[in-house]
Amino acid sequence: MKTLVASFASEARLVKALPGLRPLGVVETYTPQALEDDRSSILPLVVLVAGLVGAVCGFGMQVYANMIGYPIDIGGRPEFSWPAFVPIAFEIGVLSAVLAGFVGFLVVNRLPRLYDPVDEASLMRGATRDRWCVSIRTEELDRAHTLLRELAADNVEELPA
Amino acid sequence: MTPFDPVALPGSNNPDMTDHVSGIALRANAFGWWRIATVLPAALTSGLIGSILYLFFAGVGIWGIDWPVAWGFAIINYVWWIAIASGGTFISALFFLTRSEWRNSINRIAESMTLFGAACAGIYPILHLGRPWFFYWLFPYPNTMDLWPQFRSPLLWDFFAILTYVTSSVMFWYLGLLPDLATLRDRAPTRGKQVVYGVMALGFRGTSSQWRHYRVLYGVLAAIMAPLVCSVHSIVGLDFAGAATVGWHSTMYPPFFIFGAFLSGFATVLLLIIPMRRLLRLERYITGRHLDVMGRLLLTSSLFVGYAYIMDAFNTYYGGEKAEITMFQEKLFGYYAGIYWATVLFNVLLPQLLWFAAIRLNELVVALVSIGVIVGMWCERFTIVVVSLHRPRLPSAYGLYHATIWDWLTMLGTVGFFVFGILLVVRLIPVISMFEMREILAPRRP
Repeated sequence: MKTLVASFASEARLVKALPGLRPLGVVETYTPQALEDDRSSILPLVVLVAGLVGAVCGFGMQVYANMIGYPIDIGGRPEFSWPAFVPIAFEIGVLSAVLAGFVGFLVVNRLPRLYDPVDEASLMRGATRDRWCVSIRTEELDRAHTLLRELAADNVEELPA
Repeated sequence: MTPFDPVALPGSNNPDMTDHVSGIALRANAFGWWRIATVLPAALTSGLIGSILYLFFAGVGIWGIDWPVAWGFAIINYVWWIAIASGGTFISALFFLTRSEWRNSINRIAESMTLFGAACAGIYPILHLGRPWFFYWLFPYPNTMDLWPQFRSPLLWDFFAILTYVTSSVMFWYLGLLPDLATLRDRAPTRGKQVVYGVMALGFRGTSSQWRHYRVLYGVLAAIMAPLVCSVHSIVGLDFAGAATVGWHSTMYPPFFIFGAFLSGFATVLLLIIPMRRLLRLERYITGRHLDVMGRLLLTSSLFVGYAYIMDAFNTYYGGEKAEITMFQEKLFGYYAGIYWATVLFNVLLPQLLWFAAIRLNELVVALVSIGVIVGMWCERFTIVVVSLHRPRLPSAYGLYHATIWDWLTMLGTVGFFVFGILLVVRLIPVISMFEMREILAPRRP
């Protein structure tokens, strides 16, 4: 198994090359901007669920505190004064949603990952500027080289094994 | 410069932009002006630390607060700062949702403003507690006294609101920074910078899965941040409106405070981008279009605030309550009348200059108007806090308030801390969100 890193000068060329490259092995793109991607993400659901759970727990905590934990009669006012519990429930919900979103982002992407073998390729330095890079882990090295030439890759770099 | 400038001048392209913006953060030596500019803020920040230490030693008696004006500079400055902070979130989150392209080059500085504004604001309520070492009593933590915080009080809502707001702002800011930190990592000239930016970038490499989740999450968080900032500032308004105090007990307060947040936030962003675009040679990416849009927003929010002032007066006289009218007369003609009229002048009358396109594009005038608005908003907070409190219902309880040197040192200290923070941002991280600029720039050099 060898890994090749190739860079393309434009998004269009990379996108055009991808279908041909995929059968060769494991293909990953490294791009300065997001590529068009139809696949959905689980994060909105994570954020929604965390937000709702946070808000319900926050509300429940206030109900518990005022009705069971430390009920106190203030001039006969109701203990279950739910409108007064809404702001804190909302804030706790938002806090859980944002934290869950951020942590969820790290988890689904297996971050932080400070080192990755593809970092050895000098081409990767351009992937966060204006180069559209792709890495291919493949057994068929020669075919990959030929294909990349045909697909008009700017540069190709072979990772040291 | 015209209002019809594109959001990036013709000929701008992605590689040049990336090199220029990351070059600012990766410079081996700071700019000469940067070194000079940090001196005063650093000194003021030291003053802040000193006055806080003295406060911890001596107690809140060193401030000018007393009965009946028990909320002084600490609360004025708290509200003032949190309003300035909120403006940044409006720009970065609200205008992200409206897909306004002009936001892309100023959202980083706006969010950084939010971060340091919220940090300055967050200091004050804790100092104001009197016994700041007990601030953790605000947390609903299990304790041996079996006590709970008062969940029905707006002051506790405020604690939760600020906690959520500061945390979410940091998260949103940091998430928005990840791709740019990755760019800095890959362009770092020295090993040390590569390691530091690499660690901060958490391994963001722009893989397909990273980008896919990133884009979705950023949109979702923006959609959460926009209502959050409204809730935070409404709750700040309720801190006042929740009390049956003369001048405060009004249903108008939550939206009134949000208007003020718009106004001071936009003014501060303008005040930051005008010198920044010159000093950092960013005229190409912060154009007449940006100044024009921000000027219009400043004018609009000034009209909102003016409407609120009129309604404030109308409600008082139409309501006809004796104590309210006494307090309001005092506001217009009494001891602190100058501050009220300065508020009207700076927040409502001065921004009317921005009706003229030529003035919206005159950087010097816009900067002066912005400073005026920031001062005016401080005066407004002073009027709300002090003037209301100094005329309570009982004439026997009337009193005056004067700030002491420690009030001023603490206040100027947070100003210094804010400027110092912004200067650090300018020195260490990209001041323009590079990955968002790529969406509106040509991909290659012409």
